[in-house]
Amino acid sequence: MTAYVDECRHEWKRLGVPDLLAEEMATELESDLAEAQADGVSAAEMLGESDPRRFAATWASERGLVPEQPQPARRRRWWVWALVALFVLFFVLAPVAWIGLQTVSVSTSHAQPPTRVHAVVLPSFAGLNACQAVHKALRAGYTVRVHPRAYSCNAVIHAENETAKGSHRMVTLWLRRARR
Amino acid sequence: MRRMASESRRSQMLRGVLDLCLLAVVVDEPAYGYEMTRRLREQGLSTVGEGSIYPLLGRLEREGLVATHRAASDGGPPRKYYRASPSGRRALAEGVRAWRDVRGEVDSVLATIEAEVA
Repeated sequence: MTAYVDECRHEWKRLGVPDLLAEEMATELESDLAEAQADGVSAAEMLGESDPRRFAATWASERGLVPEQPQPARRRRWWVWALVALFVLFFVLAPVAWIGLQTVSVSTSHAQPPTRVHAVVLPSFAGLNACQAVHKALRAGYTVRVHPRAYSCNAVIHAENETAKGSHRMVTLWLRRARR
Repeated sequence: MRRMASESRRSQMLRGVLDLCLLAVVVDEPAYGYEMTRRLREQGLSTVGEGSIYPLLGRLEREGLVATHRAASDGGPPRKYYRASPSGRRALAEGVRAWRDVRGEVDSVLATIEAEVA
C-alpha cells in the first residue's frame, strides 16, 4: 500500500504537481486504502489500476494539475513524421539539389570557348535577271515560283518573298517587265 | 476470453455513467472517496471497472460539479469530503434523464433478443 502511494508521490513530483496538492492526494489515497484493507477490499479492487504511475498521472491530469496526457497513438506517430521527412528529403530536396548541381555544371561550361554559330546567308535576288535568280535560288535549295509564270530571261526581279515549312524553303520572285 | 470481453463491455458502459453514480451518492450527504465506493457497493455496484473513482472525482472537482471540504472522520485522520454542488445537481438531473432515454431506446431494440446464459 505504502509503496503504491510512494510511487504516486514520485510521479506527481516528476509531473510538477504542487507539493501541497500532491500531499493532499497522497493522504487521501493512503487513508482510503488503509480503510479498504481493513474492510477486506484489495487495493486492486479499490483502484482498478495496477500501475501507480499511470494512475497518479491520470488523476493529476483529470484534476487539471498537469497538462493533458499525450495520447499513446500520438506518441507512436513520431515514426510517421520521420517517414514523411525522409520522403520529402528524397523526393523533393534531392531533385532540387540535383537541379542545383546541373546549374553548376552549366556555369562551369561557360568557361569553355563559346561555340560559333555560322550566320545563315540568305541570297538576295533583287536586281538579278530572271534566269540568274532562278538558277541561284535552285542552287541554294529553294523551290522557286515566279510571277508572272511566263517570263523571259532578261526580266528583272523586283521583289521576293521567302517562306519555310520545316526543311522546305520556297522563294517567290516577282518580275519587272524588261525594258525594250 | 468471453468473460474478459464481457467485463470490458461492462466497463465501457459504466464509464459513461459512473460520474452520475458518484454524484448520486453524494447528492444528499457528503462522503470521502472510500465511503463513496462503499455506498456504490451497498447499492449494487460492486466494481467500477477499469480505472478508479479518484480521477473521475478529480474531474468533477475541476468542473465544479462537486464541492469539497476537509473534516475529521470517526477516529481517523481528517478526510476530504465531496458533495454535489448546485451545478452538480443540475448535471445529475440532466444525466439521469439522458440515461433513461438511452436505456429505454436500447431496451426496445434489444427486447426481442433472448439472452443465452452459458
